[in-house]
Amino acid sequence: MASINIAGDTSGSISLTVPSVAGTNTVTIPANSGVVMVSGNMPTFRAVSNITQSLTVNVTTKATCYTTVQWDTASCYNSSTNRYTPNVAGYYEVKAGIQYGALSAQPYIYIYKNGSVYTRYNLIAASGYGNPFITGLVYMNGSTDYLEVYLESDAGSGSAGTSGDNNYCYFSAAMIRGA
Amino acid sequence: MNLYEKILSIYPSLTHEDFNGASGTIRLQNDSDGKGDYIKNWSHPTLKQPTQAELDAVQ
Repeated sequence: MASINIAGDTSGSISLTVPSVAGTNTVTIPANSGVVMVSGNMPTFRAVSNITQSLTVNVTTKATCYTTVQWDTASCYNSSTNRYTPNVAGYYEVKAGIQYGALSAQPYIYIYKNGSVYTRYNLIAASGYGNPFITGLVYMNGSTDYLEVYLESDAGSGSAGTSGDNNYCYFSAAMIRGA
Repeated sequence: MNLYEKILSIYPSLTHEDFNGASGTIRLQNDSDGKGDYIKNWSHPTLKQPTQAELDAVQ
């Protein structure tokens, strides 16, 4: 059999726990190199909005309403700036939704990466309420890359704003694989 | 009067479609950092981007 080499920290221990029942369990290691991803090194967060945010029509505006953090396993979400900067490099599934509580003829929602549009979604038309939501798969470098949500209401005039209904207003991300 | 309204005042021929996030040629943005609305991108085929002085002159 091939050898098993353990390198790294000279202190501490590594524990492998096996099932306390009879039987044979097999773990197959693929013929690839990489970092083993476990829940402890796969960041995820989710924040919701319980507050309203006023918007100027036809101005793409950064969302600042996702202030209630439900979980943030690696402390990477800043609820003051509404910015997510994950600290592990890899690919992340990001999702966001919003509800426009005031008139929004064509409501938009964007995911911005590092201050630029990454992906966009809009409803064709809505009156009174519109509930656009968006998903995206994005690579993050684990140090400087950050995600934000932007909103926009295209209309000839009037005012727009979000509802603050946390069933519709959420911003979340989860790492799905390493770099 | 906000930035959008000032631009419409300078160029009455513009409509909200020119600011449309998908097909418009003018993008206004607000980064919610206290600095207010600004022109993120202006690529209108015939109208030039107004100067700050022109915007300031609109009442």
